[in-house]
Amino acid sequence: MKKLLILAIVLRLLVSAFLFHPDIKTYNFQASFLKKGVINIYSYLIENKANLPLKDEFVYFPLTYFILGGYQAVTSGILGSGFDSWLADAGANSVVANPSIFKYLVVLKFPYLILDIAIAYLLLNYFKDRRKGEKAFTLWLFNPFTILIIYAFSNIDIFSVLLTLIAFLFIKREKLFKASLFLGFASCFKLYPLLFIPFLFLKGKDLKEKILVSFTPVLILVTVILPFWSPAFVQSALISGLTTRIFNPGFAIGFGQSIIVGFFILSALFFYGWLTDKKINLFNYWMVFLLLIFSFSHFHIAWLLWIAPFMIILATKKPSLSLPIFILSAIAIIIPMFYQDRYMTISLFRIYTTWFDLLPTPFVVLQKLYDPYNFMSILHSALAGGALVISYQILKKEEEA
Amino acid sequence: MKKMIWFTTILVLFVLFIMPGIMATTINMIPAGDQPGYGPRRLSIYGKEELSQKFISNNKNLTAIGTTIKNPNLKNKKEVILNLYDNNNNLIRRSILNGFNIGDGDFVKFVFDVIPDSVNKEYLFTLSSPTAGADEIIEVFLMENPVDMDNPASGIIEYTFAEETFAGGIPLVTFHKPENKWEIIRGVYSNWLSKLLFPRSQKTK
Repeated sequence: MKKLLILAIVLRLLVSAFLFHPDIKTYNFQASFLKKGVINIYSYLIENKANLPLKDEFVYFPLTYFILGGYQAVTSGILGSGFDSWLADAGANSVVANPSIFKYLVVLKFPYLILDIAIAYLLLNYFKDRRKGEKAFTLWLFNPFTILIIYAFSNIDIFSVLLTLIAFLFIKREKLFKASLFLGFASCFKLYPLLFIPFLFLKGKDLKEKILVSFTPVLILVTVILPFWSPAFVQSALISGLTTRIFNPGFAIGFGQSIIVGFFILSALFFYGWLTDKKINLFNYWMVFLLLIFSFSHFHIAWLLWIAPFMIILATKKPSLSLPIFILSAIAIIIPMFYQDRYMTISLFRIYTTWFDLLPTPFVVLQKLYDPYNFMSILHSALAGGALVISYQILKKEEEA
Repeated sequence: MKKMIWFTTILVLFVLFIMPGIMATTINMIPAGDQPGYGPRRLSIYGKEELSQKFISNNKNLTAIGTTIKNPNLKNKKEVILNLYDNNNNLIRRSILNGFNIGDGDFVKFVFDVIPDSVNKEYLFTLSSPTAGADEIIEVFLMENPVDMDNPASGIIEYTFAEETFAGGIPLVTFHKPENKWEIIRGVYSNWLSKLLFPRSQKTK
């Protein structure tokens, strides 16, 4: 185990140092203002937009700002004096030409490593059977998908993912209130854990507990965001494209109305759980909900991390699903690589050389042979089909049990 | 489980250490340097309004010239022509693109047959869109300073526009065909390793 852990850490440090997505620089540039005493980053960025080298808005929630900014303050001695000017450097080439970039990336991604390893240990202790726990631990540490998503794309969602997993550990022990607390903290980083509230409501033993566990996460979120509530916050973080994209896909039913697929799935599962399921297994509902969301929406690659630890648990519980889960995960990660975004593939390697800017993206290469949109549609359809069957199996087996 | 450990370890090491080399083999030309910085000043090109730019090629095997071009509202769908002349004013290469393929603010490369003995030679090119009307302009940026401060040896000499000549010019980058694929692979790894192993010898901006 110890040797495996060391190998896993080495692999992660290597990916951290050598693959660079500019998002990590952007949100750390914004978080660097905490060191200068800025508390409300949302209004500060909008008011000072004209004078700032990077013009992006801060799209994350306040807790992310304070944690990243606080971490920078703590590690400023290691990062060195040139760090702030690197963050503020708007030159695409000079940023990757800076020889300190390896150090910056390793230090900035180090908190993700801590959280990543913490998830591995939570998975180890998730199962009563030690062997199953060790399998989950190894699968988490040695699957290429999460390494890529966390360390190449500098995925900040790992904060929410860890807290959501802790919430599930409490759910497993029937401690719904504690679970709702952790879901609340998780939603302070990303909103998606709030989508779990309807299922938590179903699980509550009586009306009092149902109300308590449903309102607690919302109350925590409101308490954290209320001091920052302003048009700038609403525009930048609350209704940003990334926050609302999950509920974008839909189909028209006429007269300006449409069925929103995300809400449709949520509602269908809620009523299914309410009307037909005598003993609700929340793990299964969460899995099915996420599987269907990814099947029917244009997802961001970072979202795949939301489901990753639960996929590991499922593959450990039901080894017959390991291969289908691996194949569907591979499909899910390949789809975004064909988006017309250079930083999904080639530009991640700009640290090696900026000559890679001359290379076409997989989208452009494929375009010469076949319609890339059709190709992505085929992959997404395959993902949806596979996810539907796995969802059916999850719910059916639960019914049989 | 062992298979998964091996698979992931090999895949990660492959992506980090082999993949850049494989990607390098697909590069057909390499830039002579970074694109110089440019300011807000722009020149409009359409009809008879064309730009002439003098420069020195710092490397052999010149095969393309690139610069940033604006195509406001993507209105230009006409031919955009780059004519390349030697220092005796002989037309030696021509590259034609269609404005339809030029986005607003794209870095655009005009590719032509390789000029093998281009090292340290002076050239002049004209950039024009002769059939475009006044509402179908394309625009090129001008360098912030007549001499690229980050790279004084960029080779950019002077430009002529509306019959007037000035020092400096557009933020152009010349591209050169490498002698062989190994040259590129070596270049990629040596750039990465020198930054990693000898950070103090690297230039930081």
